[in-house]
Amino acid sequence: MCDQTFLAIVFGPCDKCSNEKPLRAVYIKSEQLSYCSLCVEMMATEGLHENETLASLKNEAESLKGKLEEERAKLHDVELHQVAERVEALGQFVMKTRRTLKGHGNKVLCMDWCKDKRRIVSSSQDGKVIVWDSFTTNKEHAVTMPCTWVMACAYAPSGCAIACGGLDNKCSVYPLTFDKNENMAAKKKSVAMHTNYLSACSFTNSDMQILTASGDGTCALWDVESGQLLQSFHGHGADVLCLDLAPSETGNTFVSGGCDKKAMVWDMRSGQCIQSFETHDSDINSVRYYPSGDAFASGSDDATCRLYDLRADREVAIYSKESIIFGASSVDFSLSGRLLFAGYNDYTINVWDVLKGSRVSILFGHENRVSTLRVSPDGTAFCSGSWDHTLRIWA
Amino acid sequence: MVMLLHVKGTTSLQASQVSGTPAKAVLENKMKELTSNSTTSISQARKAVEQLKMEAYMDRMKVSKAAADLLAYCDAHIGEDPLIIPVPASENPFREKKLFCTIL
Repeated sequence: MCDQTFLAIVFGPCDKCSNEKPLRAVYIKSEQLSYCSLCVEMMATEGLHENETLASLKNEAESLKGKLEEERAKLHDVELHQVAERVEALGQFVMKTRRTLKGHGNKVLCMDWCKDKRRIVSSSQDGKVIVWDSFTTNKEHAVTMPCTWVMACAYAPSGCAIACGGLDNKCSVYPLTFDKNENMAAKKKSVAMHTNYLSACSFTNSDMQILTASGDGTCALWDVESGQLLQSFHGHGADVLCLDLAPSETGNTFVSGGCDKKAMVWDMRSGQCIQSFETHDSDINSVRYYPSGDAFASGSDDATCRLYDLRADREVAIYSKESIIFGASSVDFSLSGRLLFAGYNDYTINVWDVLKGSRVSILFGHENRVSTLRVSPDGTAFCSGSWDHTLRIWA
Repeated sequence: MVMLLHVKGTTSLQASQVSGTPAKAVLENKMKELTSNSTTSISQARKAVEQLKMEAYMDRMKVSKAAADLLAYCDAHIGEDPLIIPVPASENPFREKKLFCTIL
């Protein structure tokens, strides 16, 4: 189910320049043609055709937006929580802090789990990036970045490297070594280069490629070894704050959320935006795919979390309460997708029943806003990082 | 007439079929538009229109079917979810009470 892409990327001769390239569908005078991305760019920058003015293009855009809304509304026959009425309600949850990881000197901004379900990398405002063993709470590695506000960190799938970045506008990869004599900072490799702060980064299925999101409004895919830009994704109108890769092995899509209130789904091979959703009222701080890959959740400064289904192409659930007025900074699903954990700026973590739309539990413990939250790869626990300088593991 | 040659094939045919004055007005508008540095906004507007067209013509499914699929996935995997169906404390590395000390 998860390797279903909605735009079949055709590879073949372009209708205009006849080169063999990945093609995009383009509509010219109601006729569908297949152009390569270079020809699309050239066509877009050509002068106005007859009967075309800037105003008419704008009108066309408006009418298409209206049509899009209509098409989406046609298929809205039922609400998710109505379909979920027949599902059993969940029992009471007892989730407690099982481990507290102390050691950061300042606000924890980001964390990620290693695939071995045990190690955690976390980054903080003071520039420190620490790798922890979550079972024993020991620190295994520590590196000091040359910049402050390290807003993004990620663990490589092999467990042999970490990537991090922030106000330095770069994403750097550090190979992890257990050799006491080796200085981790010496082996640092700068991979990504943006023109504004790095807000999120993630390795793709291998150690060889990294996807980054930046305050400059773009996302980019980089090759780790050479530092080369493989693909860039333009479309957000403001800072991109978060991204998440589709869970499938063969998946080639990712979702990003930004300060323009939009969540956009991208095809990694062509660089094209496949779908976009604009129903939030404020910045989207966090996006996470549903485990099946057919939907994703977003947490926003408007104090709501929303679930968007990719195949129905619309928002299908809103998780909000009148009593929650602080923004959600981070969201993640449990292994089955039944629970949505969301960390808020009011120091709490709310646990939502994804299908029924109701809140199942509220977790207290942090002494400042929760900035990051991830469920472990095997689903046995989740870890939250906060501005109170600690990380907590809940199970 | 020289200026008409720079315009794309189809439009030049249409322009010549129309009487002289409207074609000239259209050309004048085009020159004005080009010189007023709006090529970037034209290309942006075009790209936005293309993007919207693509999104509007996308294949969608009904919410009822999509919701049913989400439910089905949940049902299938809920048994393996350690946060919902708690596994015995001995198997959950975070819940067990084992202390990690060694006696020296």
